[in-house]
Amino acid sequence: MKVSTIVVTIAVIFIALAATIYSLQNRAPNTHPIEFTAPFVFGRFNVPVDNPLTQESVLLGRRLFYDPILSSNNQVSCATCHKQALAFTDGLKTSIGVSGIPLKFNAMSLANLMWGPRHFFWDGRVSSLEAQAIEPIKHVNEMARDLEQLIIDLNNDELYKKLFKKAYGEISEKSIAKALANFQRTLISANSRYDQYLRGEISLSPLENQGRKLFMAHPDTKVVLRGGNCIDCHSQFLTSGFGSKFDGFSNNGLDNDQTLQEGLFILTQNEAHRGLFKAPTLRNIAVTAPYMHDGRFTTLEEVLAHYNGGIKRSKTLSPLIIEADNIAKTQLDHISLNLNDNEITAIIAFLHTLTDDEFLTNSAFSNPFMADTSDD
Amino acid sequence: MTKSSNNTANIMTVNKKTITFAFLALVTVLVVVVVLLRPAPQNITLRFHPFVGDNPFLLNTQSYQNPGGDGEFTVRDFQLFISNIVLSSPTNQINEQESYHLLRFDGNSAFDQIVIPQIKLRSHNQLSFGIGVDPKANGSLMFSGDLDPNSRMAWNWQVGYKFLLLEGTLTVNKQQLPLVYHIGFDESYTELNFDIANKIMPENGVINFKIDLQRLFQKDNSHDVIPTQPQLPQDIEYIDMYKMSHVKFSPEDVKSIANGFNHFITIM
Ligand code: HEC
Ligand code: HEC
Repeated sequence: MKVSTIVVTIAVIFIALAATIYSLQNRAPNTHPIEFTAPFVFGRFNVPVDNPLTQESVLLGRRLFYDPILSSNNQVSCATCHKQALAFTDGLKTSIGVSGIPLKFNAMSLANLMWGPRHFFWDGRVSSLEAQAIEPIKHVNEMARDLEQLIIDLNNDELYKKLFKKAYGEISEKSIAKALANFQRTLISANSRYDQYLRGEISLSPLENQGRKLFMAHPDTKVVLRGGNCIDCHSQFLTSGFGSKFDGFSNNGLDNDQTLQEGLFILTQNEAHRGLFKAPTLRNIAVTAPYMHDGRFTTLEEVLAHYNGGIKRSKTLSPLIIEADNIAKTQLDHISLNLNDNEITAIIAFLHTLTDDEFLTNSAFSNPFMADTSDD
Repeated sequence: MTKSSNNTANIMTVNKKTITFAFLALVTVLVVVVVLLRPAPQNITLRFHPFVGDNPFLLNTQSYQNPGGDGEFTVRDFQLFISNIVLSSPTNQINEQESYHLLRFDGNSAFDQIVIPQIKLRSHNQLSFGIGVDPKANGSLMFSGDLDPNSRMAWNWQVGYKFLLLEGTLTVNKQQLPLVYHIGFDESYTELNFDIANKIMPENGVINFKIDLQRLFQKDNSHDVIPTQPQLPQDIEYIDMYKMSHVKFSPEDVKSIANGFNHFITIM
């Protein structure tokens, strides 16, 4: 297929996805569907039928997301660990909540959550954003909030009473979860330089373009095709793990058998899933350091050094990683892509084209409490 | 005058009425006959049972003999596209819409299947489908059926889809070798035809297929056999996985595996 055709197709089919259908079914109170756009190339998305994307639910969800009322000490909100300027991560190796005890995991970016794997958290242990939203609220180290008490407190707040009434009719654990989920569904990042390039609006620099090609190719020495094989696990447009079943989870060689974590095994109890983690979206990756589920790498250079020679062997390590090599395999014990320094620089340059400043500063996603004070 | 003309008019009306009535009766009878003779809509299920030779195929846990050489292999992932399903009889043809199905064998079930709902089937005796993705769909960015440019089966948009994905490990003399077969390219798209007369189970509309991973590695020796003569199993030669442990973009290697598309699916 010709590149020009694709670019034109993508540019033309920039579909406006009005969520009217969802709102027509199932609208309890008098709500209004939210309008949003997403690139055609992101593909199909899912909104649960019992939680239509309404303006009322998103307005409420945004307020809850930024409100420390969700935590036992009234000091931690979702945004404490998911900061917009950092593509909704927190810049820490692993996050710290109310208890002050560092969590086991690095905070995940919240972008384009309607696409990619339908399992959330690094190990995929919950399967909807609604189910996910309650977890940090209850978790002793994160927000440690008693939900019954939270509902009482929200009922004592006139504004929340009004917002919940409009969006869901009542204040309950379910409606709290639904509102948070819907706000997060609207966090769409689709205006990075890579997106602009796909729409045919700009061209990438030669270095970025070389990096893009390396990212999108599995190497094959037989036909002199050089590649970084990133696309084997990070999809071409979303750059996240794949959406179907558990295709979006893999073992990318962070640990050997002795130190291998449970990962997806926690959910499936399948030995073949031990040490598999969710391949996260790489959108805005330049601002979401440190990297990996335990935040072990502080720079993208370290990440690339990992893929280019730092891979640790274990029984569930992806065969794609073992096999991918840019020089014909001579020995089997050392795994490396064998990319040269210039190619590494190119891939990192491409990763920087995934930064979407509009997303990082979009006022629709920002702290509504701050907006309140500056408006008054 | 008025009267007679009225009479004429009456006679004409009667005639018209009779004709209309007779016509309607005839139409009704025809409709009833057609409806009665028409088969009730039924689901048709293409059920694919994976095997390696005579052994049922299991992911990860089971190892199998290298078809054309030493060592044993295990499989971590096995998926393939089945496209453009057509059911036909001498008089009509049903083309499934958005007919792109990803078969995968990583579930808890021993088989994977495609259900074509509500087929009005009468003496369909031919079934055809493609292995892979037809060149038109392979060369475009569309979300149709199971096609998804952000899926694991997609290469980048310039290359199209992997038609078949097989990943695993070959162990020879305690040495482990990764196996990666990503078979795509327009030239590999293979249409298969099956005679399905008497092959559809009447009670549930299921057609059972065997997918034999061993025969995927069957060597192409079409030049040295007489095409009409079926090959004896002992005469079939197989590819040695050790010598060809990864196939991705090398057109010749792709061709030699894609040749197996012609052989590895049979009606059980
Ligand atoms: C104390 C820090 C902290 C707080 C507070 C917090 N999170 Fe998180 N969040 C994390 C960490 C760490 C992860 C990854 C955890 C894991 O995988 O177990 C995560 C993961 C997620 C994910 C999964 C994303 C994905 O792609 O799978 C979502 C969604 C999410 N958080 C939303 C929220 C919401 C909504 C709130 C508020 C109710 C919240 N978080 C509060 C730290 C936090
Ligand atoms: C075999 C699959 C696989 C391949 C190939 C792969 N990745 Fe990953 N990637 C993952 C997984 C899984 C994770 C999360 C691992 C974890 O934290 O346990 C990840 C994490 C990352 C992260 C950190 C993300 C974050 O938010 O912390 C970056 C950056 C990254 N990959 C870039 C790349 C690049 C660049 C390439 C190509 C050179 C590549 N990956 C190839 C599966 C893969």
